[in-house]
Amino acid sequence: MKISKYPGTPLKEADIREKRVLTTFWRPKARYAWSAGVAITRFLEELKNGRLIGRKCSKCGRILVPPRMYCELCFKPTDEWVYVRDAGRVATYSISYLSADAKRLKEPIIVAVIDLDDTPPNVGILHKIGEVSKEDLPAWMRGEKFGVRVKAVWKPPEERVGSINDIKYWKPIEV
Amino acid sequence: MAVEKITEAGRARYWLGDMETDYIYTLGRAGEKFFRGLKEGKIVATRCRKCNLTYLPPRIYCEHCFSELDEWVELLDEGYIEAFTVLTVDADGNKLDPPEVIAFIAFDGVTGGLIHRIGEASPDEVYPGMMVKAVWKPPEERVGSINDIKYWKPAIE
Ligand SMILES: [Zn+2]
Ligand SMILES: [Zn+2]
Repeated sequence: MKISKYPGTPLKEADIREKRVLTTFWRPKARYAWSAGVAITRFLEELKNGRLIGRKCSKCGRILVPPRMYCELCFKPTDEWVYVRDAGRVATYSISYLSADAKRLKEPIIVAVIDLDDTPPNVGILHKIGEVSKEDLPAWMRGEKFGVRVKAVWKPPEERVGSINDIKYWKPIEV
Repeated sequence: MAVEKITEAGRARYWLGDMETDYIYTLGRAGEKFFRGLKEGKIVATRCRKCNLTYLPPRIYCEHCFSELDEWVELLDEGYIEAFTVLTVDADGNKLDPPEVIAFIAFDGVTGGLIHRIGEASPDEVYPGMMVKAVWKPPEERVGSINDIKYWKPAIE
């Protein structure tokens, strides 16, 4: 016998929403705690202190920020903690009219990968760019701001909690 | 080259998250009728005349002869405990105090049965074969759910 002989009972979303059919609703308590690990835990603690810290690999000489306990190029544990300056250059960026949770924004945000002065290229950290004036925005839109110098703008110490958002944003600075 | 370890638990940082894995389960043709029956304070089952079987919870097809079932019967809200267990933790692992008794309740002449709570009896008073009767919520509180029956209490034999 053909499957079409057993048509089932098609339901539309509205049938459920408008309670034309009975339903059972269930939300499992699926809570989780995602551990930051040794390297990021220290990184976050130092952010609370208003400092950026990285891990250095003595073999390739790279300083990794955010820090990692293992060098993925040399296949060995990294060797020491080093503080780095909170200044760098915009390696790449994107202008977004969507917030992190996908809500529409009237004023765009600029999201950038920043190459820090003390780390080699292609290590950069992901963050926001702030204090961009209306007059300056078109140049950002045209993609003319790669390589621009930026500096971290920190929250006041009493507001810092040990989060990447302890840095409010990075602002462009004159050379 | 020892890798550092965090030895104080308080120092370890973490992010808390909540996975919203909701689901909405629809009941199907037989289930719909069964739960609407509960709302009216009735326990309904389907019958296969050919096999002389009564199914609870009701099904639309007979498992033995595959015929479609369209004969509905109302059962008495009285049955007996076929098996039971004592819960000391809830579905999320939280301690239940006092413990709760969950039973498989069977009905005379019926294939199947219902899993439900036993009330008005302590765990050591419950035994297999015990006669029980449904305690219903008042009609205005019933929504078409298995919880329209609050629990089953010991019935006087
Ligand atoms: Zn290396
Ligand atoms: Zn049958």
